[in-house]
Amino acid sequence: MAEEFEPKIVAFLCKWCSSAGSDLAGVSRMEYPPNVVPITVMCSGSVSPLYILSAFNKGADGVLVSGCHPGDCHYIKGNYYARRRIALVKRLLDYFGLEPQRFQMSWVSAAEGVKYTQIIKDFVQELKPLGPQKKLRRAQ
Amino acid sequence: MVNLEDLKKEAKAVLKDEKVKYVIGYEKSSNGLMPAPAFIKKPEDVEKLIWDPTCIHNLTRFLTDEKQKKAREKQPDERPVGIIVKGCDSRALVVLLQEKFINREDVYIIGVSCESAGVVDEKKLSKKLKDKKIENIEFDEKDNIIVTTKDGKTKIPASEILAERCLECRANFPVIYDVLLGEKTKRQPENPFQSVEKIESLSEQERWDFWKEQLSKCIRCYACRSVCPMCYCDECVVDTINFAVTADTTAEEKAQKIKWLEKSPVLSENFVYHFIRAIHLAGRCIDCGECERVCPLDIPIRFLNKKLEKDAKELFDYDSGFDPDQPSLISSFRDEDPEDFIR
Repeated sequence: MAEEFEPKIVAFLCKWCSSAGSDLAGVSRMEYPPNVVPITVMCSGSVSPLYILSAFNKGADGVLVSGCHPGDCHYIKGNYYARRRIALVKRLLDYFGLEPQRFQMSWVSAAEGVKYTQIIKDFVQELKPLGPQKKLRRAQ
Repeated sequence: MVNLEDLKKEAKAVLKDEKVKYVIGYEKSSNGLMPAPAFIKKPEDVEKLIWDPTCIHNLTRFLTDEKQKKAREKQPDERPVGIIVKGCDSRALVVLLQEKFINREDVYIIGVSCESAGVVDEKKLSKKLKDKKIENIEFDEKDNIIVTTKDGKTKIPASEILAERCLECRANFPVIYDVLLGEKTKRQPENPFQSVEKIESLSEQERWDFWKEQLSKCIRCYACRSVCPMCYCDECVVDTINFAVTADTTAEEKAQKIKWLEKSPVLSENFVYHFIRAIHLAGRCIDCGECERVCPLDIPIRFLNKKLEKDAKELFDYDSGFDPDQPSLISSFRDEDPEDFIR
């Protein structure tokens, strides 16, 4: 039997909530798929659409942007800006015909290690049937 | 349609009083089809000005050049620049004012209303005329365009040769002006987003196939960026050539400039370019359609800008280019912004 496709996910996690949430999942020894490459950013509001595009361009099968819950942003309103920007990016990617499952956003607080693992589990499950992302990938 | 003599009179008056440095308008071009931008410096040159349904250019783009030129001068001429704007162009001015790229006192705005019409599409018109030279072109009262060529007059229904964007225009009169010529007649299009909805109704695979075909054509000449009144950044993320490199720039600094995309015009890189160009115009594009007009490969770039305009309206109830005091789309938020897509 051929080996099962393992998607590669790039996750942009904000330093103050989501990154700490993923850390909590780690130190609590929770199990979740190893398909995700976490990149800590200072705030979900600092995630430029270029980062997301660049990840897809360099071969990511899925991209996750995760920040603090509304009202909890360390910089007061960074995640509100992110919410607006990501909504536009998500809609535009969909308009170009990229599978909508490939780009996700989530709110994960520093205490939500369980939620983080669940998001990654679901994400991997959704990406598996789609196969490798070839549309936006740079030809090697 | 606005009377040309009135326009000349207004331009002449401000030039005579030396209230403006020069007036940017339209003049006849040598090819006899579309006009060329004109920079009128002397009152007697005002006679060169034209105003007809072929005046398609968005002249606000030249304010970027003007600003750069002024910055280089030791003793700049502080008088404003006169500029002739249509409805869409005036909204570009509003966005530039909103972003504080230009100051209101630096421009003298001569607004011309398109009234119930608009401007013609060059490609549609030349197809209709089979490349004959235009001697005169005007609107009649019943939404027809009368074109006079050497073979006589032809009457063409306006809807057949008007530019696509004019058929979807929501403000066909200037929203900001010092003098206004013509009437503020508002024409409500049946559906301002019909072109976008056509693509949205396709399936995911069909949409991808459509954009794949279109974006593969792109040769990355960056004409769409050069012509855009909103693309005024000194440094652009998409090409590393115009990063400011001075004598002091070290090799290390140069190496640290991130190369987000390759220069080769292949699909994956073209995709990044067009996506980023579109997203940088979110809430700023006022649909002047210049990007699509200058595209040598007929890529429907307007569909991208229009999509973002539609999303901004639907999701955030945001209209670009009407109020110079409103905060920009992505530097503002509301508590009730949709978040149903967030887990």
